[in-house]
Amino acid sequence: MVTVTIPANVKELIAKRGLKESDVLDVVNTAAKTGKYIKNGKDGLAKKVIGGLTVYVVSDLSGSGTAVVKTAYAHKMALGKIVNVMAPTDWKTNDGKAVAQGHVDMEYMTVKRTGPALVDPASGDAWVEEYLAVKTLAAAEGLFEKKRA
Amino acid sequence: MGYEEMFPAMDSRWHGNAAKRFASPFVDNPHDRIDVDPIILSNAAVACGYTIRDFYEKPELGIHCVGYISHLFDLLPVTHWFFSLPWVTELGLKLHYKETLPPISTGPIYSEPEDVDKMRVISKEELLKTTGEFATVPKFFRIYDYVAKNLPMTLVPISYGFDLVGAAAEMVGVENFIMWTFTEADQAEKLVQIYTDTAINGAEAMADKYGSAMLIVGSVLANNDIFSDEGVERYSVKNMYRYVDGCFKHGAGPQVFYHLCGNHQTDYKLFKDGLMWSPFTVIHAGYQGRNAFPSALLKETFQDKATCMGSVDTKLMIDNNPNKVYNSAKEQLLQGRDSKKGYILGTACETPPYTIPGQMLALVKAARDFGTYGTW
Repeated sequence: MVTVTIPANVKELIAKRGLKESDVLDVVNTAAKTGKYIKNGKDGLAKKVIGGLTVYVVSDLSGSGTAVVKTAYAHKMALGKIVNVMAPTDWKTNDGKAVAQGHVDMEYMTVKRTGPALVDPASGDAWVEEYLAVKTLAAAEGLFEKKRA
Repeated sequence: MGYEEMFPAMDSRWHGNAAKRFASPFVDNPHDRIDVDPIILSNAAVACGYTIRDFYEKPELGIHCVGYISHLFDLLPVTHWFFSLPWVTELGLKLHYKETLPPISTGPIYSEPEDVDKMRVISKEELLKTTGEFATVPKFFRIYDYVAKNLPMTLVPISYGFDLVGAAAEMVGVENFIMWTFTEADQAEKLVQIYTDTAINGAEAMADKYGSAMLIVGSVLANNDIFSDEGVERYSVKNMYRYVDGCFKHGAGPQVFYHLCGNHQTDYKLFKDGLMWSPFTVIHAGYQGRNAFPSALLKETFQDKATCMGSVDTKLMIDNNPNKVYNSAKEQLLQGRDSKKGYILGTACETPPYTIPGQMLALVKAARDFGTYGTW
């Protein structure tokens, strides 16, 4: 069991990004239960597919049994298999293995393309960092929606 | 009289079809045929009765010519204008116009490796305030404001990192730079990074104004005629990654065009796992040795990551035998047209200013004959 806190400024950001607080809590609680998240120093990055969105939460895990949410974001593209594995990053899996920079298949509106992500070749899992989700992938999703219309 | 008054309005029926075709490879929605991109620049001005110098000295005219001539040959529905030395003015280089060339530098401004320590990354705010006819951000704002007003359906704001190694090398002289890659490698690397980071700030300025900015970045000087594979990787591949990742962090992208210009005989494979690939990426390779880069190899190497753009040797575009273009284009199309993420037929680099119109027709005819979707 983890005690999750969402500071007021983060609640504002979450609302601005169209995310529900309940979904953010769900992401953190699920990660705490399953142990499926990655760490960079005192920060943890967890994700969960909710509806058509992959929702991510970065939390400060420095307190005992607590998670203070630092940011939350989402993308619509569904992540698929790992396409390549590049240099290791500062992110580590829960069992201490380095997570690498790389690329994965990304699918949206039946179109499959490739995009950048943090990848764990051992589990085949992948995570998209905040700047890529809210800028690059958001813009790409907009282009897909326009071009497929 | 504005330049826009000299051109008939764009044919929206043509443009609509070309736009749907252009989107095809990126959205898995095949339409018409494989697109053709001969990287048309000053050739468009020449084809409209102007000079090479006019193209570069009057960019609004130049980009309007690109839009107009794209219709003539049924090319891309988007407009572009550039030359290979963005951002160097802001870093201190002086440029001047030439009659038959793009603007070139009046000469390097640094000569010793220690001089690189005097250089610094130019901030976005400084880039916005730079004055003079070669100031990069104000020039591109002017160009894209013109396009937004007069050719809005062709507007794709683009920010150019272009040749990160070659442009940086101009600051100190290409010969010096090449020598430093052996004797002062850290200073050579620092120089390229300063140029790269300045170009990232420029991309942010473009994205701030237009909401996004397609990125064009290449490996031009860094090719196998000049550098070993290790040199291409250290100076070019790593900085191309740095550029695209940095631009994404600052809101530019998501479209990326990678241009491997010149001979990439063996270094091509380093780009595969060395670059950042967005869902809207095109990779283009010019030559393998002295021959156009084979589309089969391009496809085999990159088709899991990006749309592939094959090449016809630019020399053929000024050879008075259209069948040489047609047959070369056919060969490339047959090799590359079934690339997993789509294929575009191109020329190895910018089509020459005095490209023969019949050769342009041969290129497009080959795309119609061998690149029509649903026929293979």
